[in-house]
Amino acid sequence: MNSRILYVIYKECIHIARDPRTLAVMFLIPVVQLILLGYAVTTDIEHLPTIVLDQDLTRQSRDLIEAYRASNYFDITRYASSEEELGRLIDKGLYRAGLIIPTGYGRSLIKAGRAQVSFVIDGSDPTVASTALPAAQIIAQAQSVELAAELIGLDPTDLPGIEVHPRVWYNPDMKSVNFMIPGLIALILQFLTTLFTSMSIVREREQGTMEQLIVTPIRPPELILGKVAPYVAISFFDLAEILVIGVFWFGVPINGSVALLLALSVLFLLTTLGMGILISTIARSQQEAMFLSLFTLMPSIFLAGFFFPLEAMPQLLQWMSYVVPLRYMLIIVRGIVLKGVGLRILAGEVLAIAIFGVFIFSVAARRFRKRLE
Amino acid sequence: MIRRTLAITRKEVIHILRDPRTLAIMFLMPVMQLILFGYTATTDIGLLPTVVLDQDRTLQSRELVDAYRASNYFDILFYVRSEAELGRLIDGGQAKAGVIIPTGYGRRLTAENRASIAFVIDGSMPSVATTAFSAAQTVAQAQSTVLIQRVYGIEVDEQPGIDVRPRVWYNPDMKSANFMIPGLMAMILQVQSTILTALSIVREKEEGTIEQLIVTPLRSMELIVGKVTPYMVISLFNLMEVLLIGVFWFGVPINGNILLLLALGLLALLVSLGIGLFNSTIASTQQEAIFLTFFLMLPFIFLSGFFFPLEAMPKVLQWISYFIPLRYLLVIVRGIVLKGAGLSILWDQAAALALFAIVMLALAASRFRKRL
Repeated sequence: MNSRILYVIYKECIHIARDPRTLAVMFLIPVVQLILLGYAVTTDIEHLPTIVLDQDLTRQSRDLIEAYRASNYFDITRYASSEEELGRLIDKGLYRAGLIIPTGYGRSLIKAGRAQVSFVIDGSDPTVASTALPAAQIIAQAQSVELAAELIGLDPTDLPGIEVHPRVWYNPDMKSVNFMIPGLIALILQFLTTLFTSMSIVREREQGTMEQLIVTPIRPPELILGKVAPYVAISFFDLAEILVIGVFWFGVPINGSVALLLALSVLFLLTTLGMGILISTIARSQQEAMFLSLFTLMPSIFLAGFFFPLEAMPQLLQWMSYVVPLRYMLIIVRGIVLKGVGLRILAGEVLAIAIFGVFIFSVAARRFRKRLE
Repeated sequence: MIRRTLAITRKEVIHILRDPRTLAIMFLMPVMQLILFGYTATTDIGLLPTVVLDQDRTLQSRELVDAYRASNYFDILFYVRSEAELGRLIDGGQAKAGVIIPTGYGRRLTAENRASIAFVIDGSMPSVATTAFSAAQTVAQAQSTVLIQRVYGIEVDEQPGIDVRPRVWYNPDMKSANFMIPGLMAMILQVQSTILTALSIVREKEEGTIEQLIVTPLRSMELIVGKVTPYMVISLFNLMEVLLIGVFWFGVPINGNILLLLALGLLALLVSLGIGLFNSTIASTQQEAIFLTFFLMLPFIFLSGFFFPLEAMPKVLQWISYFIPLRYLLVIVRGIVLKGAGLSILWDQAAALALFAIVMLALAASRFRKRL
């Protein structure tokens, strides 16, 4: 049996080697995705282009502008001379935020101790807006505390107050890359194995070579194992590629056990290979196989919480996410890499992907055998 | 000439109708994307599951916990007795934030007016962590203000302060769907039509029928126009599909001129057409065509500002984004839909798109003719 599997593997490797373009694609996918996800995916909004309309032009208004400038959130690069100008430039998208200090701001602050400013924010991207808004308010609040201290005649540091000492766990610098790269490991495993397994099997059927394989003494399990083995190897190579670039280039810390990560990746492959084989029994052409793989992948990405937090989704979609295996794998990979947790904490997720793996793989194997007969 | 073009269009329509599965996929894809992007693409997590470790157990500590509970950010689900327990809940992901009030907090607050607490945040998802982080500080600051009032006997409305009145423009409720759905319109115009164009031509190549078409009196221009017309119609149909579902189901407001949107949408379709044709001259099989388009589209989506703000990216990537037509189209579609902007504001984006259309079409046409 062993030698027969080896022959199928050998044959598949020749196929892969004959198509160097696709081979290059397989090794370059992780690199391209690493660069995109590592650099382009960031919601850390700093230096938001901000325009100021200072109708007051007093020391107080300048103080407030300075406070905004000193924060890391707002880049004040332009002063508008009228509200229309401010509106036009924000309409055009050149500025995302605008601070309007009305006439009388300084006077009202001295006389009444209170004053109002307007803060315009481009809400079209809610992620940006919801970060910028509290930032704008915190800056004004800090200014207010200073004012209050001045009024009472105290040093601001002597004022009553509750100090919050933040402790950011797992990802102390709150770098997006630390969040994205572990997720990418799970994603690549699923993407490559499902897509290429389904396509390599459908190719045999499309070209009519499946019949020739069936009349050989190779048994169906040997055929499946032999055909998927090279893709498993490539997936693990890609996994290593991501880990190495992630750690040495992007500085992602690996807090947990790499051995555990690899072991659970093997378990996850049972699911993704099963899906690939299942798709190959449904699709009639390579193109269909490709579309089907991409179609199962896309909802997976969104429903598993790859980019966006699961908790923010409507309840119905959150329930649906329980039947997406990638959901559990993402928790496992991020748990091991970022949190450094072990099997004890991940037991539930591991059990889930084990059940998925056994179920999907056995269904796929049965359908595959039926199609052969 | 029109008759010959129409004949090709008819032939292509027959091709499309013969494969109802692919046809169904073409129409269902936007619906699936609408549901995914409209509902899942949000970082607004609402209430963050929070664990409290109150080692102080005084009136003051309870007041602070109540202030956190009353804020719209934290859902206090667990009270624990030790840091180890708190750590376990956050490790396990059941809680994403933890408030630790140390022993002596209340005493210090009465005696010295100042006290500190620790706030633990699960930083693995930075977008969630930054929001939680500023929310935690806002709550504590508000509590401090209450303290100042109490200690110095200042009335609430006499309290000195700068009042920031936020004005959220374009998307006052800050709904993610309002941001994602116009983006999806742009993506459908750009991505789907590019793949379909490339595939329709490569299919003829792969099946060897392109030779048969060449020996007919068809000119290459007629061939191209005839072949891609049905796909342009499908893309426009999909655009309307997204527009209607977006407006009537997700309640996205259309603040600008729909006619302008359609006109500039057509311009964008010309760009996709050019890219698709260009791909078809490079790829020799449908599989290659799909891969090629897929690979082009990945940077398109990430470097155009579709999901993530361009301003947050490194400078180099921001420069690269200028070469991505989707970048301009996104500004245009979001500008028209959300901001109600007209040509007077969007003219430079439209000009950039027109330039892309001309360059890509000319490039593709010259390569295409050579290959024929």
